[in-house]
Amino acid sequence: MPEGASESSLFSASPEPALNGGRCRACGYVFFPPQWYGCESCGAPAEQLEPKSLRGEGTLASFATVHLYQGKDIEAPFTVGVIVLDDGPAIRAILAQRTDEGLRIGDRMRAVVVAVDGEGGRANELRFAKQETVR
Amino acid sequence: MKKTLREMRPVYVVGIGLHRYQRLSETPYVALGLTAVREALRDAGIEWRSVESAYTGTALIGMAAGRPMLRHLGATGIAMAQVENASASGSTAVRQACLDVASGLTDVSLAVGVDKPAPLALASAKTNIRDLVGRRVVPFTHFALLANEYMNRYGATAEQVASVAVKNNRNGANNPYAQRQRAVTLEEVLAGSPISGALTRLQCCPIGEGAAAVIVASDDAITKLGITRSRAVRVTASVSRSERVYHGAKNFDAELTRETVAQAYDEARISPDDLDVVELHDAFTIEELLYVEAMGLCGEGEGARMITSGEADIGGRCAISASGGLLAMGHPIGPTGVGQVAEITRQLRGEAGVRQQPDARVGLAHMVGVGAVCVVHVLQKDA
Repeated sequence: MPEGASESSLFSASPEPALNGGRCRACGYVFFPPQWYGCESCGAPAEQLEPKSLRGEGTLASFATVHLYQGKDIEAPFTVGVIVLDDGPAIRAILAQRTDEGLRIGDRMRAVVVAVDGEGGRANELRFAKQETVR
Repeated sequence: MKKTLREMRPVYVVGIGLHRYQRLSETPYVALGLTAVREALRDAGIEWRSVESAYTGTALIGMAAGRPMLRHLGATGIAMAQVENASASGSTAVRQACLDVASGLTDVSLAVGVDKPAPLALASAKTNIRDLVGRRVVPFTHFALLANEYMNRYGATAEQVASVAVKNNRNGANNPYAQRQRAVTLEEVLAGSPISGALTRLQCCPIGEGAAAVIVASDDAITKLGITRSRAVRVTASVSRSERVYHGAKNFDAELTRETVAQAYDEARISPDDLDVVELHDAFTIEELLYVEAMGLCGEGEGARMITSGEADIGGRCAISASGGLLAMGHPIGPTGVGQVAEITRQLRGEAGVRQQPDARVGLAHMVGVGAVCVVHVLQKDA
């Protein structure tokens, strides 16, 4: 299994890139990544958990450019961001830009699907980009 | 009725011993561990046959690490178990030893931490829950993200964050058990290889090998075995907690520490103002700033000022990481939490030599383990 977000179980590419999260029917807790074991917030069992699509938009809460990485699936430097999604959860994602140039906490971010060449061939990953640079 | 550690039978640290933390060598873990345990027995002035249970804190060596090491002290048939709780493995071994004595199950118990670097096999990778980043985010990036958020929120500078490494390496330079025993300048820390975000090499702890041992005993044992009472240090709180769901973008590392330390203060009946020495989980520089705030040693956002003002130096208001901390003493995983309790004990006995915090009477040891868990002990002289 590749390290990046190339699994379609984690996101949908169209019509707009969106994250496949989950929601607890018992307490309303919204979460990402998806899991179907039981609610971390209230303990409700799997039957109470339902898929919830989370819009790929949010606000940048922090970022760090990784200089030291020994894996083969991405080349350092690359930049990781914490994004608080408009739909609730704070998530960590690889950013579309390699370095932190021009990034500021509070920037509006949007999910983008990026085709990446890896060991298993070309695969799609979900990354995040500053909104004004997307379109 | 539920009881806290302090309401149970009093527990005292009576013996401490270490094997220096160092880079991976050919030395078998057995030799590392035995060095620490024998030093602790000598320090307590007791024989191995007086020890009634032994907990080995280790995360990386493999299944059943305890007896292949401890049998060489004489196979006395005592209760033995390994304790794995990530970076808090050693702290949890100390807790188990304390609980044995406090409950009256034993009069003398041992906590020993020992580890050698080995590939990690995190169980969380086997949950089939995947996220967008996988192994691309390792602990140093987790904390680099927290550093970025902290610096932005409080206007703290890269120099202030890096100054933690300067202080802790200065302390480690005077600790014969430390992996890094060399004072460094701020310029040197900042000019080091960039690792992730604002963190440079010397702002990340070295993970090597080593061992640490702590012997805890009851009042009865101190009397019966003729242990020097004036060197015994009482453990007045032992608290272990795990992460909850913190809604919003809250810093869960700081929140977990805040909750765990608050409970420890309550159980020991102390306030942060009472603390003279603190050993905390400074695996990365930013953590020391986050945790001194979460511990109430200074206000929110004042961590950087507290560290750079000298208040956290040996001789300051409260010495933080007098051993050198994880940043300089090192973080061999299993030994780390045990080594913290050894350092606090040495400080409260007044036996820390050039690292001695003057008139130290109350100390706190704090470890965080990935997952996340947090384990805190309070030690007090003449309590």
